[in-house]
Amino acid sequence: MKAPGALGMKNQQSDVSSRSQPDVKAKEDGPVTSSAPLLSVEHVKISYRLKNTLVQAVDDATFTVMPEEKVMLIGPSGCGKSTILKAVAGFIEPVSGRISFAGSTNITPGPDRAVVFQEFDQLFPWRTVLDNVVYPLRVTGRSKPEAMAQATTFIEMVGLGPARTRFPHQLSGGMKQRVAIARALALGPPMLLMDEPFGSLDAITRTRLQGDLNRLAERAKVALLFVTHSIDEALLLGHRVVVLQGAPSTVAAVVDVRDINGPDDPHYRSIRRSLEDLLGAPGEEEPDGGN
Amino acid sequence: MAVTSQELRPGADLGGTLTARQSWSRLPAWLRRVIILAVAVAVWELYVKAAHVSHLVFASPYAVARSFVSGWLDGQIAGATGVTLEALAIGMAIGIGSAIVFTVLATWTTVGQDALMMFTSMLNPLPSIAILPLAIIWFGLNEKALVFVVANAVVWPIAINVTTGFRTVNTTLLMVGKNLGLRGWRLVRDVLLPAALPYIISGVKVAWAFAWRTIIASELVFGTAGGSGGLGYFINKSQYFLNIPDVFAGLVTIAVIGIIVEVGFNMLERRTVIRWGMQATS
Repeated sequence: MKAPGALGMKNQQSDVSSRSQPDVKAKEDGPVTSSAPLLSVEHVKISYRLKNTLVQAVDDATFTVMPEEKVMLIGPSGCGKSTILKAVAGFIEPVSGRISFAGSTNITPGPDRAVVFQEFDQLFPWRTVLDNVVYPLRVTGRSKPEAMAQATTFIEMVGLGPARTRFPHQLSGGMKQRVAIARALALGPPMLLMDEPFGSLDAITRTRLQGDLNRLAERAKVALLFVTHSIDEALLLGHRVVVLQGAPSTVAAVVDVRDINGPDDPHYRSIRRSLEDLLGAPGEEEPDGGN
Repeated sequence: MAVTSQELRPGADLGGTLTARQSWSRLPAWLRRVIILAVAVAVWELYVKAAHVSHLVFASPYAVARSFVSGWLDGQIAGATGVTLEALAIGMAIGIGSAIVFTVLATWTTVGQDALMMFTSMLNPLPSIAILPLAIIWFGLNEKALVFVVANAVVWPIAINVTTGFRTVNTTLLMVGKNLGLRGWRLVRDVLLPAALPYIISGVKVAWAFAWRTIIASELVFGTAGGSGGLGYFINKSQYFLNIPDVFAGLVTIAVIGIIVEVGFNMLERRTVIRWGMQATS
């Protein structure tokens, strides 16, 4: 029943074939794999300008995200994983290659790919918790009562009902990230882009939020592109893990991990070790990460 | 009198002084200020009474209060205040308007930013009153010259603060705004402006302080040269006729207006940037 995790791992660009075989039968709650990908990133190369020098961040990235699928982008610091996320969000334009989202290759920033950042200051400091969630809904055309109801639901969902009249500076880091997640999910986007949203949190808060996110994303039926440098986080949250390597980076492997049911799973350690090998830094990533 | 609220501790002198100090700091801030003011006024009154100073040189608080009240009642001070505030308002409006233009240029273009930086570093340290002689040559001995020096006092601190505010807006917040599909004016109004508000307020605050000092000083200069009718002129005229209580009454008016505006700014900050936890660290 359990497909050996390491089997799902092959070298570059074998992801589509390797993914569909073992897991579809193994888990009925897995995402639908027959439909077209929601997001496809094909041979994308990205450079950006940093003080007059052109930094090449990503050399060749190719992967897909299916509707409701959770894909983790993992790689060492500075490998360009956030850069890829920003390109998908429409903040940066790739030098070459193609990104297509929901059938369109015209990628400009938009709320259909709601972004959650790592930084705590991504909330509008001049708006209360409730207003921070209501405002994006109003901007994207919801009526006032509809926006209020929707925002209240999602704030309750992330457990911040009692704090809804507070201003961001009166919240802890973990609470701020919860608001940011509520804000993104309330928009009802087909896809959520998350750039190490738990990276600045303490281990206990991080673990709790990871659990919450798993639950919420499941309920919201949203696809996830999630940047992390923690193997444990990737294994805990992801259906598939896209491993980036080198600077400028390329996709080293796409690993199917949807059958890994937490750290007690017999395959957890072996797949974790394989990922460590791929990343070339065994044990360097937070050892306290996902339990 | 401050000790009265404290419970009595019989015996030790040391204990007594300690309690006095404690009870003083326990009083509300406004009451402590009122007490100090009352003591200062009392000392002033006593000095004038006891030292027999000529009232052609110095006025007692009582005389000042009488001049102040009658000056406001017969419209003399009120009229002068109106003239001053009108010139100030026009000057500040022109200054703020120009500051907005400079800020837009400096935010969109690098040349604009360089030019603004250069002009600010050259003209901001220069007390605006220093260009009054030139302004008089250019505009004549009239309100236009006043408006010009006030506008000059206002434009640089506002332009530099607001530009800094825009340039230092958190990039994450900007990306959040863009992610929601905000563009152009909507992005400016809903993200950039509120995010830069601490800088905008502190710019206007500094500008006000400069403008207020500049206009009074200019009117004093005008007073000696004749013409105009503002508060500075009123003080100058009163001094000319050796009406010392009126001089003091004019000074009190200037101080009171300054305090009122300051309180207004504090209230604005408490309702906005302090409430939102985003005071500028300047």
